[in-house]
Amino acid sequence: MNRQAKIPDPSRFFEIRFESIGGLGAHAAGQILARTAVLHMSLNGAHFSSYGSEKKGSVVRSYVRLSSADKPIRSSAPIDIPDVIVVFHAALLEQRITLAGLQPSGTLICNLPAGEIPDSLSRVPAGTRIVRIDALQIAVEERSRPNAVLLGALTAVLPFLDTDAVLTGLTEGFSHHDPQAVAANERAFSRGGKEFELLDQTGLGAEGLPVMRPTPVWGYQTAPLGGVLPLPGNTVWNDLTASRTGWLPVFNTEQCIHCGLCVLVCPDFCLAWSNESAGDVPALECPDFSLSWSAEGPGEEAPSARLLGIDYRYCKGCLRCVETCPTEAMRREAETPGLAERLQVPLFPEITNRVGGAGGN
Amino acid sequence: MATNIQAAVNESTTEQRGKTEAPQHVDFLGGNEAAAAAARDIGFHLMGYFPITPSTEVAENLAKMQADGEHEIVMVPGDGEHGAAGICYGAAIGGGRVLNATSSQGLLYALEQLPVQAGTRMPMVLNIATRAVSGPLDIRCDHSDIYFALNTGWIILLARDPQAVYDLNFAAVKIGEHPDVRLPVLVAYDGFFTSHQKRRLECFDDPPSVRRDFLGEPHAPYTALDPRHPVTFGPYMNDPDLINNKKQLSLAMEAARSVIPQVLEDLYAITGRRYPVMDAYGMEDAEVAVVLLNSAAETAKEVADHLRENGRKAGVLSPNVLRPFPAEAFRGALAQVRAVVIGDRADSYGADGGNLSLEVRAALQQDAHNRTLVLSRIYGLGGRDFDDTDAEQFFAQALDAAAAGEVALPFAYHGVYDGEPQKNPPSGLPAIETAEVSRGMARVREDPDTGRLEVELEPMWATTAMPGRIAPGHGACPGCGVFPVLHQVYSVLEGDLVVLFQTGCAMVVTTGYPNTAHRITYIHNLFQNGAATLAGLVEMYHELLRRGELPNSPDITFMMVTGDGGMDIGIGPALGAAHRNHNMIILEYDNQGYMNTGAQLSYATPLGHRTSTSEVGCTRSGKAFHHKDTAQIFASCHLPYVFTASEGYPEDLMRKAAKSQWYAKREGLVYGKVLSFCPLNWRTTDDAAQTVLQTAVDSCFFPLYEVEKGRTVISYDPDLLGRRQKVGDWLRLMGKTSHLLSPGNAPHLEAVEAEVDRRWRRLKAMHEHPEL
Repeated sequence: MNRQAKIPDPSRFFEIRFESIGGLGAHAAGQILARTAVLHMSLNGAHFSSYGSEKKGSVVRSYVRLSSADKPIRSSAPIDIPDVIVVFHAALLEQRITLAGLQPSGTLICNLPAGEIPDSLSRVPAGTRIVRIDALQIAVEERSRPNAVLLGALTAVLPFLDTDAVLTGLTEGFSHHDPQAVAANERAFSRGGKEFELLDQTGLGAEGLPVMRPTPVWGYQTAPLGGVLPLPGNTVWNDLTASRTGWLPVFNTEQCIHCGLCVLVCPDFCLAWSNESAGDVPALECPDFSLSWSAEGPGEEAPSARLLGIDYRYCKGCLRCVETCPTEAMRREAETPGLAERLQVPLFPEITNRVGGAGGN
Repeated sequence: MATNIQAAVNESTTEQRGKTEAPQHVDFLGGNEAAAAAARDIGFHLMGYFPITPSTEVAENLAKMQADGEHEIVMVPGDGEHGAAGICYGAAIGGGRVLNATSSQGLLYALEQLPVQAGTRMPMVLNIATRAVSGPLDIRCDHSDIYFALNTGWIILLARDPQAVYDLNFAAVKIGEHPDVRLPVLVAYDGFFTSHQKRRLECFDDPPSVRRDFLGEPHAPYTALDPRHPVTFGPYMNDPDLINNKKQLSLAMEAARSVIPQVLEDLYAITGRRYPVMDAYGMEDAEVAVVLLNSAAETAKEVADHLRENGRKAGVLSPNVLRPFPAEAFRGALAQVRAVVIGDRADSYGADGGNLSLEVRAALQQDAHNRTLVLSRIYGLGGRDFDDTDAEQFFAQALDAAAAGEVALPFAYHGVYDGEPQKNPPSGLPAIETAEVSRGMARVREDPDTGRLEVELEPMWATTAMPGRIAPGHGACPGCGVFPVLHQVYSVLEGDLVVLFQTGCAMVVTTGYPNTAHRITYIHNLFQNGAATLAGLVEMYHELLRRGELPNSPDITFMMVTGDGGMDIGIGPALGAAHRNHNMIILEYDNQGYMNTGAQLSYATPLGHRTSTSEVGCTRSGKAFHHKDTAQIFASCHLPYVFTASEGYPEDLMRKAAKSQWYAKREGLVYGKVLSFCPLNWRTTDDAAQTVLQTAVDSCFFPLYEVEKGRTVISYDPDLLGRRQKVGDWLRLMGKTSHLLSPGNAPHLEAVEAEVDRRWRRLKAMHEHPEL
């Protein structure tokens, strides 16, 4: 299969930027699209992603640059002014850099649940085509991943892309390491191409959004010599909310014996303890820790040591506290909009509890 | 036939493909994948390697292909890049074709071996995905690594895109093996920009015929594997002989000047793609030019096109060969150019220009008639992008100089930021007072009868009163085990603590500039040398105390943290520190692989486990050799205290941490090896830690024990407690090992079980016999 696709304007590149969190499949989606364009649509293409170490949960940008077959691709620079931006996670819309460079002639595809439209979309330029698709919900229903759904939507709104070819590319990409996922991905892709919604009149911006390049905080005249950081612990300003992928722990104080086991296994140091007095709690044997271990609370001995709750600014949703809790005081729940904000117990109340909060970067 | 992109990039678009051209097919690969594909198609005999970002994918791709039976290259994972270079050197002396790939610190760590290989005239191919050298540590592209290789006697080819990586690997073999040359060859391409950016390219349909017709059989004039012709390799050679040996090397480089164009012409004949020694774009009538290496030159070509559309005669020069340096080609190309900006992606500090700039200026100086104005610029360090606007500025500076007839600024850094006086990163947290972390969470007492330490721990809830020495907001993966390990250890360590982390997950995710999660003093050094570095600091501490030069005489505990992957490269300096018995703790977090860089095998990876360099396929079933037992290695250094622990058994770990501090302050070096959860690369859910870690212990794969003043004591005996599980019960829990439960892998499973059982029985014997 090798069909001749035509770039809308063959004299220039057609450029797509995927904005995502590590683990959601944006890198794979970009690669599948570009690979398909080159191998099955007779286009020229390049694909790359911006990420550093291989960890889950950090911001990932994936770039696809397409051109007609006879136009060489030379630049390896990131895409500043994309024709299409695909946003994989709603939390990313709060960061201005996610939509940087979006033009009135462009297209924005967002993984968003139906219902209320986030305020952040109002700054999209008027005229920009905004596409909403609940990729997470469809992915869950079809046991696929959001990237399959988003590729389906992307292919549907860009007529020059050959739907069959992209679908073939998608299944090729997955069948390589997970043949069972092929059917699920086909269904997710197909639903992505049908169930998207055009949000007209949402963008109110007067003009294209500016290109943003991260500026260093310090320069060569202001940075301490040798790269030292005399700022102990200033990661507290970071916001890791976007690292969660649908689940969070919910704390039930009624069932807690304040034994402290959760603190010992929490990788993200996001559990808040208080000095306020609470009632007596019983000790409890915990057979899972079979050394001289027992899970016991402070009781009368130190009524001040009490687990108050979770600072969701830092919680990445690993649920190790849920696994470890001997009394089921930690419960796994699906993260619905606003849930984390309602249950938030801040470790550092002076830090604004919003994504990219004051002083963050 | 598909359009040929590289031909369009070069200036030979109109030439027809020759009759000798080999059949090819279109593929879509990044530079690392292209290097791996070329290695597969060349059919090297052996690859010695050690993973390092961003070149790691070369070995990863070859490991995957190997598991799927696509090639027969012997893949030898080095203990570090220095070892990998040694493996390659030894293999080359055997006479076959040898490959390696590395970057940055990897090249520098191997550097000592490079002149050895060149001086003894052993060809091989070393791919370099170029990357900034530390410190501070930066994983992104610049050319500071390959500039260190300029004086090693290696031929250096430059590959500007994935197609060039593929093609020039073939050329590298043929150039290096040419009887007039006999030199190793380095193929350098830009880290990330080229190594990870996928492009359209063409690969040979029938590699065996290309090997036969283009490469031919390797022929080594001398090999170490011919007992009937004994040869001494590497004699002891002082004056007056060495200079003559180096003259031979110099002559080989001169010979390469004529061999390289021949080989590249032969390459053109079979590929249809031209690689002139000097890629001269729009230079015939250029009045201004920029000189750049690799991917940045491609960006500049786009800008040169735009300038020409606006009547400016602009050109781009970028050599495809850096050694031997094409001085004559530069002189010719720049003879009529009025002004040139030479961009270096690395500085030769204090020399008013990077190496490329210095060498081009030196080349021009030999042309008495040359009047070209030269501007030297340092750009793009540490991966800073070079895009159209940067190229436009370079051309604008050249045009300004040409118009003025003089250079206003001969040397400058391009793209730096001076900073704003009032602008600072977010503030840090207050320093932790000594009293706040001196809470007696563990009371340690020496048992006068046994001489062993007894530890009484406060209840777990009480430890929540200890201020965290690591702040929240670090960027580790969800579920990461390193931070529970550190937290459990920190919870019982009393008083002031200074830590050194070797390169690894915990280092990367806690110190992304300008943020640090560390609330106590923290030092990073490369993982070749962490223990030595901390040893130096410990001794300085004691000497300053002795001289009364340390204000307030703080009482400091020193701890080094090594991982991910355990303790591999730095084990030499760590053993040195152990034998010198400094007052410090070495804490190893063993997550069974190099996880930060994408889960390559480390020596801590057990037999049969799947990693990205020990793949599972029709011909391979994961890692081919057993895991390293660092606890026993350090026990044999006769240290005061050695232990193993797991974050799955926090209380045990915390007791041992308390003992570690006692011994480190009083008696000397402590080594602790802690099994640490990695859900991403063990392929489990993020919340599977307790089950997986405890089963690792209960199956006796990872016994918990301590060696205290030479006496081995098992801390937790699953047999006695009736909790013993089968190794298979543990392996079943992880995606990286589930293949070992299949019937076809029964021999592997049995091998793992037998080794686990053997080590456990041996440990029990040591436990039972005080003298063992």
